Order: sequence, then structure tokens, then C-alpha cells
Amino acid sequence: MEPILKIDSVVKTFPGVRALDGVCLNIYEGEIHTLLGENGAGKSTLMNVLNGLYSPDSGNIVIDGSPYIFKSPKDSIRAGIGMVHQHFMLVYSHTVFENILLAVEDIPFFFSRKRLKKRITEIIRKFNISIDLDEPIWKLSIGQQQWVELIKLLLRDCRVLILDEPTAVLTPQEADRLFRFLKQLRSEGKSIIFISHKMREVMELSDRVTILKKGSSVKELLRGSFDENILAGLMIGTDDVPVWEKTEKTFDSIILSIEHLYADKDKNMSDLIDFSIDLRKGEILGIAGVAGNGQKTLAEVLTGLKNPKAGKITTGGTDITNADSRQSHIAGIAHVPEDRKAMGIAPEMSVDDNLILKSYKNKKFRKLFMQNRKAIEENAREQIDAFAIKTGPKGTPVRLLSGGNIQKVIIARELSLRPSVLVALYPTRGLDIGSAEYVHKVIMDAREQDMSTILISEDLDELLKLSDRIAVMFRGEITGVVDPKKTTREEIGLLMSGETLP
Amino acid sequence: MKKIVMSAILASFLLLFGCSKKKEEEVKVPADTGKEIKAAFVYVGPVGDGGWTFAHDLGRQVMAKLPYVKDVTFIESVPEGAESTRIITSLAQKGYNLIFTTSFGYMDPTIEVASKFPDVVFMHCSGYKAAENVGTYFGRIYQPRYLSGMVAGKMTKTNIIGYVAAFPIPEVIRGINAFTLGVRSVNPDAVVKVVWTQTWFDPAKERDAADSLLDVKADVITMHQDTPAPLQAAEKRGAYAIGYNSDMAAQVPGAWLTAPIWNWGSIYTQVAEQVHNGTWKSEQLWYGLEHNLVDMAPMSKLVPEDVQALVNEKKAQLASGNDDIFTGPIKDNKGNVAVEEGKSLTDAEKLSMNFLVEGVQGSIPE
Amino acid sequence: MIRFEKRKDISKYFAMTAPFVSVLLALTTAGCIMLFAGVNPLKAYMGMFHESLGSVYGITETLVKATPLIFTGLGVSVAFRMKIWNIGADGQLYMGAIGASWVALFSGLTGFAAMIGMFLAAAFCGGLWASVAGFLKAKVRVNEIIVTLLMNYIAAAWVSYLVYGPWKDPKGFNFPITQRFSPDIMLSHFMTYRLNTGFLLAVALVIILYILVEKTIWGYEIKVIGDNPNAAKYAGIKIDRSIIGVMFLSGALAGIAGYVEVAGVQGRLQEGISQGYGYTAIIVAWLAGRSAIGVLIVSVIMAVILVGGDSLQILMQLPVAFVNMFQGLILFFILASDFFIHNKISIRRSGK
Repeated sequence: MEPILKIDSVVKTFPGVRALDGVCLNIYEGEIHTLLGENGAGKSTLMNVLNGLYSPDSGNIVIDGSPYIFKSPKDSIRAGIGMVHQHFMLVYSHTVFENILLAVEDIPFFFSRKRLKKRITEIIRKFNISIDLDEPIWKLSIGQQQWVELIKLLLRDCRVLILDEPTAVLTPQEADRLFRFLKQLRSEGKSIIFISHKMREVMELSDRVTILKKGSSVKELLRGSFDENILAGLMIGTDDVPVWEKTEKTFDSIILSIEHLYADKDKNMSDLIDFSIDLRKGEILGIAGVAGNGQKTLAEVLTGLKNPKAGKITTGGTDITNADSRQSHIAGIAHVPEDRKAMGIAPEMSVDDNLILKSYKNKKFRKLFMQNRKAIEENAREQIDAFAIKTGPKGTPVRLLSGGNIQKVIIARELSLRPSVLVALYPTRGLDIGSAEYVHKVIMDAREQDMSTILISEDLDELLKLSDRIAVMFRGEITGVVDPKKTTREEIGLLMSGETLP
Repeated sequence: MKKIVMSAILASFLLLFGCSKKKEEEVKVPADTGKEIKAAFVYVGPVGDGGWTFAHDLGRQVMAKLPYVKDVTFIESVPEGAESTRIITSLAQKGYNLIFTTSFGYMDPTIEVASKFPDVVFMHCSGYKAAENVGTYFGRIYQPRYLSGMVAGKMTKTNIIGYVAAFPIPEVIRGINAFTLGVRSVNPDAVVKVVWTQTWFDPAKERDAADSLLDVKADVITMHQDTPAPLQAAEKRGAYAIGYNSDMAAQVPGAWLTAPIWNWGSIYTQVAEQVHNGTWKSEQLWYGLEHNLVDMAPMSKLVPEDVQALVNEKKAQLASGNDDIFTGPIKDNKGNVAVEEGKSLTDAEKLSMNFLVEGVQGSIPE
Repeated sequence: MIRFEKRKDISKYFAMTAPFVSVLLALTTAGCIMLFAGVNPLKAYMGMFHESLGSVYGITETLVKATPLIFTGLGVSVAFRMKIWNIGADGQLYMGAIGASWVALFSGLTGFAAMIGMFLAAAFCGGLWASVAGFLKAKVRVNEIIVTLLMNYIAAAWVSYLVYGPWKDPKGFNFPITQRFSPDIMLSHFMTYRLNTGFLLAVALVIILYILVEKTIWGYEIKVIGDNPNAAKYAGIKIDRSIIGVMFLSGALAGIAGYVEVAGVQGRLQEGISQGYGYTAIIVAWLAGRSAIGVLIVSVIMAVILVGGDSLQILMQLPVAFVNMFQGLILFFILASDFFIHNKISIRRSGK
């Protein structure tokens, strides 16, 4: 059988990143096809290519045997591809019916509301959905809003439906209903591209699984030829563990202790549930887990960007549970944020200015109200030398630097504060190997200086290489703490999917 | 580089066209002995307003025909206050030796600039401050207002007349009072309802004001405004309209009765002549029907013959210099005696008038 | 299909020459229209130049016109640094004028004390007026554009109320103006010209603001917030407080413009003090590219266009509508050049 949708060696590069590196994907009629991969593996980019938002640098999209070029989402919709985004595209003050109306193409200037409503009602009845067409969107639950998105696609007669982590926002009951619905669609011959991290769902639904890793498709598996372990293994990779020459250390004192921490849910991220762990002086504590399981919340709570609901964080006897980021910083916690450009830098400002983002109020960098430009420049020179930052001409806005150099700026800034604890979120994500190595070296060097690091990463290689201990998170909880010298990838993979060790 | 070349070409293109359009020098009028006049007018509105500024500009055009008037320019829409100082100065600097500033708000700027240009003659319209080289001029428009009031008093059936008024300044108040006295002289039962717009020039606001008067059964609308909007509102609702500033019969043919109008040309020619002859001296001119500075627009066919005759008779009396409009007994609309029997208001009292006569429904906003 | 894309690297040469080219284009376009009106454009432009820069008087008048633009431009520009749009400089100017007039007419202060009092009252009133929008933005996320814009009308209505009502000059024949301020509290003038110490004050504030934004810790915070609020939060900067503070400063600067207008030029409070300065200030701030020195330069250029425009009427007998159109054309072309400096156009053929 020929695939109805075939993605053939698609390449898409962004400045400095090769987001898709020859991805192949075959979608057949009447199947649920799961796309599996870590964050940054290229799933979103691939979906945006299918969506018509990005045009690929090379490679083909073939539908029913003929190649297509999507110039805009409209083209993609016309080709019968529809997508439910993680963030719904709905007008909240309008009614369900009006929102669906927006999605229907080629409505004549005069049209029969009645006839259209009838068509929609048919779909609703067929799939046994409970929804009131005249209700405004904002009154609906998240699950119901998702139905509206799905109805839009069905009304457009989409043949291929893409669902990007659809269950992230749903309750288990709503998720079950969605699964029944997806299976019904499959039996009608629709093809579904399903994106999820959750092994249980993948196992339940998938007819076929394609695994993406670092921008290319590693493997395509048919139902029956995979189980959770195999998938986890493929997703994480099976290369040999690189060994870092770590000096053996003994850790005696506790620098940061986290006790029974609870935090609120933020957007699609899991909250923290009874999260407790001690960080010892001079150690690197790795936190493993699929992104979105509470890691970002943990980092934000630790660095004071967010207040926990319950629990306690202490450092050296000081309670820093409720503290804004400045106080956290004084207490010696530095933060390498997840999204470098969105949070870590002021993109239009110079490297000099960015290097003092956290310390601009220090006596060193000011004379009363005035900034001490000399000291700031001196500081910049030192840091640029020490971290080998390639900056371009003086005064260049930091946004023009490469990703690696931006990350170096952030790390240089954070470490220059001589913090006792560094919280680093995905510090090497999107960096080339050279820059990533450099970041690793810096973190290891700081360890020699007795700085403690909480290293949050999805890259198991990185965690195994650097960490003294690895804690694995799943849905806001620690499912296990392992010793990187003794553990296996499979073990970590199981913990990441929520299983506990025997 | 390309761009520089391009712009050079464009510039020379402009030069070429510019030069070829050069005006033929006008034929020199044999100069008589007097001073050549270069006059300038400062207007508060656009010349096309069909009202105040339009009337002044008609006068300017009359003056421009004098042989010794070499140049007459004008600047329109000049904001009152500080902005006008710059404009007036600029005109004086450019060699204009007779400058007319045609709105009350130019009073202080005119005095200020005049002190720096002692050789230039300034004429300020409607103000009360004069100087060695600043004269003032204005017209007794209240006289034709009185006459138009007589017409209104005869024409109204509901005995309610609407008056759209700009600002509660003595000039406007005087007009309302004269008009009302005219109305009551022929129709003691009629009342005049006043709505203040607080603007000289705002068609929408003026129309709204007229509409509100029509809503309370006014069947004649008059106004002290610079646009014809109130008149148009009246025509639309089948009421009569009495205009102001200039003859607008053509714009509202179905409603037009008459209007008190300005003939600025008469005073502009007079001043220009005096300056030309060297006989000009600072005066505060306040001319009426006798000098033809103010007049009545011809009454339309809607006004019956006998009314026309009555009005013309009164007009002839006023034009002969016998102005008894503000002669007692006059009561104000609060019931107090404003002018005692046998007495007349002096010009100074007229110029600072601050009460409304009996028959006016409305009040002077504080 | 035509697409606009943001330029990654802006060529310095292009950025420098584009505004000049655009002015030239505007002059050419307006020139063509003048030809249709039977006016020699070169003569007209010479006249404009002469009017605004050709004499000591012209230059002083240009600077008088530039003064309120500098103050309001600085105000809009400093808020703009934080990506806050203060569309309300006009209203803040009026509030400043009210504050200054109150001190001048009713406080009983005289001489230098009155001048200081007027200055402070104007800055305070303007600042307070703007802070309302700042407060609403910081605390309840109300769009500052709407609030500042609508508050312009309220401020203008306040001026009307005062000059028609309680503050009306009893000797003013009911005209809507206040009494004249006593001469000893007016700003002193340069020789016999209208140029007054207000302009020096404006230049001083340009320098102060330059230092404030570029050299101080507070300025650093503003720049970080404007550049990336998330990074500011991450750096521990109190964003809400800064928003209110910056709006106060922005409004205070516009308020000072009101002070200089009543105490330097008008000598009294009346309607129409601002000839739309607060709106022109938005264009000034935009073209100045956020720099205080730029505000000074652009304000003077704008003043040249505005003052020079008079000569088109006087010398060329062009109607006022033409002058307005001409000024609009120049702004339009300059803004367009600004757009093309930052964006490039690509035309893509559509098809399969």
C-alpha cells in the first residue's frame, strides 16, 4: 500500500541549528501514527513544515503520489491536513458555532446558518460529543475546547489530523474519551499523527511509531514490534556512556535542602508534588525526565521566580522559600534559564550590559546612582577572556551572537557571582558539540571549586557524564534517585515513564 | 551615488519648470505721490468658511483693486494666542506695512508685535486695546440684527425663535439683545431661546444646537456662528433661517429670510486710503449702517411686502444716524431695569454689555 | 505576493542616507503638486528655509517652536524606551499648564519662588496625570495607549472648564482666557525675541535625560525592561514600580512643556496652548530612535518644517490645507524610510 502522506528527506535549518536533518515519515490511510522524540528532536519543526508555516530547505512532501509545496497554512488545509495545536486557536468571546464558522473555507457571502448548523450537529451526534453550539468558548472546559478544534478539522474534511500532545491538558477521563474518538476516526479511514511523550498512551493507540532524534528519523516500528522499553531506549539512544574524568569527592555538608515542596500548575507543565531532595556541597545533581514533568517549575521555585504552594527551601540555615529572584541570588543561587533568549538575556543590549544583568546594583558596578562603565567594561573583558566568548565588535547586541556564545554569556554571568548553587536548565540544548563541551567543562570546573549544581537535562549522556547523582522526575514527583556509575539507560528510561524500580 | 545623481536630475527638472512659469510683471501704475500699500490679513478660519473669514476676504478683494495697493496677502487658519505672534511678526518683517488681524484672540499678539514695528500700521478687529500704530475697527452689527429680529418677530408662528450663539462675550450678547428687542418691537409675545456652542466654527456642534432648538418648536433659527450649518438644519426641518456674515440665500433657498451682513470692503478701502495719504491715525472705529460697514442682506420672497416695508423704514432711520435701539426702558430677563426710561447706553456700555434683555430665554454662563 | 521581512543587519550607510533621500523624495513630490498649483517649488523651498533659518529672528522662532516638542518628545521617548506608548503627552502638557497657571495666579508666590513653584507644579501635575495610566498598566494591565489617549480629552476639557469658568479673566469681556501672569514670573527672553529660557531648560533636560537613561542604574533597569521584561523579572527588577515611575517622568516632562508654553510664550492659560505638540512628540520620539540627543535634533527639524510652512502661505499664497498636506508628506516619507531601514520587501511569485 502506498502512503497517503510521505515526507521524504526533509531538511530545515535555522541560523546555527539544523532542526530537521533528512526526516522521512510515511503516513498510511486509517492509521494512528505516533511521533516520538525528546524535546528539540524536531517534532515541532516537522509539524510546522506540514502546516505550511515553514518551507523546507530541501526534501519533498508527497500526497497521494504527487509532490506539494505549502506556502501557507491555507495550502496545507486544502491538501487535507489539519492540526490541533497545543494552544488552541479559538476566539474566546465568540460562540462555538462562530468559531467553527471561522474555520470553514469558501463560505459564500450569503449562506444558510441552518444548513451549516445541521452539518455540525451531525458530526456531534456521530461522535457522541456533548457541546452547545451557542455557548461562548470561554465557558467551556479545556477538554470541550479541544472538541471544537477537532470539529473544525472534521468539517473541513481533513484526511490527516495532527494532534500535538493532546492529552497534556486533559483529565484522564477526557483523555479516554479522546482515545475512543481517535479510534473511531481511524476506523473511518482517517489518518492521525499523534505526538506524545506518554508511553501508556503511545502503547495504547499507535499502529506505527516513528522515532525522531536530533532532527532525523531514527526508526519506524509497527505495532507488535515495540514495547515501552524499546521505545524509551530508542528515544534516549544507546551510544556508549562517555566517561568524564571526575575527581572523586566526598560530600559531607548539605547546602540546599528542599522539603515537601508543592507548586501550582503553570500552563502545560506538571506541578511539583511532595518534592524533597537535599543538595550536597560541591556535587552535581542531575535531574532527568521528559520535559514538562515539573523541571521548569522546580527551577523557578528554587530561583525565586515563583512561590511554592507548600514546603520549605533552606540554604545554609536561611529560609528562602518565598523570595523574589534577587534574594535568591543573594542567598547564592544562580540560574541558567531554560529559554536563553526569552529569559536569559536582554537581546538588544550589549554583552557588557548583559554580563551585569544580575549584579548591576553591586557596589563594584556603580558610583551612587551612576553606573561605573569602567568597571563594567573591565568585568566584560575578564569574562570574555575567561569563557572565550566570541562577541563581535564592541557594543554588538547580544542577540547577534551564536547560541553557544549566548549561553556562555549567561553562564559566565551566573558563575561570576560565585554562587554556592547553580540551577541549570537544559544548558546545552541546541548548542553545537564544541560549545556543549565547553559548558560541561565550566560546570565541572566549578564543581572543583565546591559549587553545587542542579543540572536539569533531557540529554542522558550529559547527565551520566556530569552528575554525581541523578534524580528522575515524572509528573512532578521523584520516581527514583540513581548513581550514574551503576545505573543503566534502561533503568532511567523506566523511571522517566513513571515506573518505580523494584 | 545613483541616488545623488537621481536627485540632481530631479532638482534641475524642478528648476526648469519653475523658471518657465515665471509671472509676467504687472504693468506699472503711474505712482502717485502717496505711500504704496502692502497689506496683509490674518484670518482665524479658512477663507472658504462661508462665514466670518469669508466676509473679511471679500473685503480684502475689494481693497486689492485700489491702484496704490501693491500687494495683498493673507494667512488663514491661524490659531489665536502665541502662535499668531509669530505669523504677525513674520508679516511685518516681510515688509507689509498695513496688517489687519481679524479676530479678538489676536489682540495681545497684535499689540505686542506692533510695539516692535512702529512704522507698520496695524488694525485689529473687535478688540479694545489700541496703540500709537494700532487702531481697532468693528461694526455695529447689532443694528441689522435688530432689523432681522423684526423680520423674525413677524414671521414666527410658534412665537419661539432659536438663536445659536458662539461665546458669551459682549459682542454676541449685544447681538442677541438687539435681535430680541427687534423681535419684541413687532411681536411682544415672542421669545428668543439661546444655545451656546462655545465655538465659532464647528458645523457639527452648530447643527446639533440648531436641532435642539427646533426640537422645542422654534420655527425661526438665527445664529452668531461662522458656518451655515444651523441654517441648513432649519431648512431641513421646514423652519425659517436668518443668517449672518454674508448673503447665503443660495445655500438655503427654502428657508432664507435675510441676514445681518458685513461689508468689510468699505472700511478696508477707507483705511488703505488714509494710510496711502498719510492721514491715518490710531482710532477706534465702530461703524454702523450709516457707513455701510454693516447691512441687511436683501430680504427673500418669503418675507411679505408689508414686513419688508416696515423693516426698510426702520433701516432708513438707523442709517440716518438715529440709533435708538438701546434706549430705555429696557428690562433684563431677570426682571431688573437695565436701561432706565429716557436713557440710552453709551458706546462703552454697549461694548461691555453683560446682561440679556427681557424675552431672551437663556443665561450668560459664568 | 509581497512580503515584508525584518532586516537582520541594518547597513549603516543605508540607515544614514535613507532619511535624507526620503526628505528629498517628499520635497520632490510636494514640488510636483506645487507646479500644478502654479508655484515655483524652488522659490517656495528657499522661502521656507529663509523663514525658519534665514535670520536670527527665524532661528529664534524655530527654537521657540521646537521647545515644547523637545519636552514632550523626551517624555514620549523615555516611556518608549520601556516599550510603553504614551500617547497622552498633549493632555499631560495641559495638566502641566494648569498646575503652573494655578501657582502663577492663585498661590500668592512672586518672583523666583513663583517660577520654581510653577515649574514643580507643572511637572507634578503632568506626572500625576500620566501615572494614572502607568498605575493602571502596572496593576491591572490596562492598555496604556487607550488610557493616555482618552485622558488627553479630559485634560483639554479641564482647561476649557477653568478658562470659561472659575479662572476666567474678570476683565476679559467674557473671553475664555485667564488673567495675564505678572511679568516678573515670566521666563526671560533672549533680547527682543520670543526665544526664552525655556529652550535652555529643554537642552538641559536633554542632557539630564541622556545621563539618566544611558549612565544610571535606573536607566539600565528601564532598558532591560524595555528590551525583555522576562529577563528583567529574572534579574529581579521590580517592573510594576518602574512602569509607574517612568510614566510619571514621562508626564512630568510633558507637563514642563506646558509650563514653558504658559510662562514663556502665552503668558496666560487658554485653550489651544498645544498645537498638537503631544502628538507630534510621538513622531519625534519615533524618529529620534529613542535617544535624547536625537529628540533634540528631530524637534528642531520638525520646527523648521512647521515654521517654514508659514512662508508657503505668506509668500506663495498656498492655502493652509496645502501646508498641512506638505507637512504630512514629509512625515510620511520619513516614516516610510524608517520602515524600509528596518524591513526589506521581497516579492514572491505565487504558484505551485
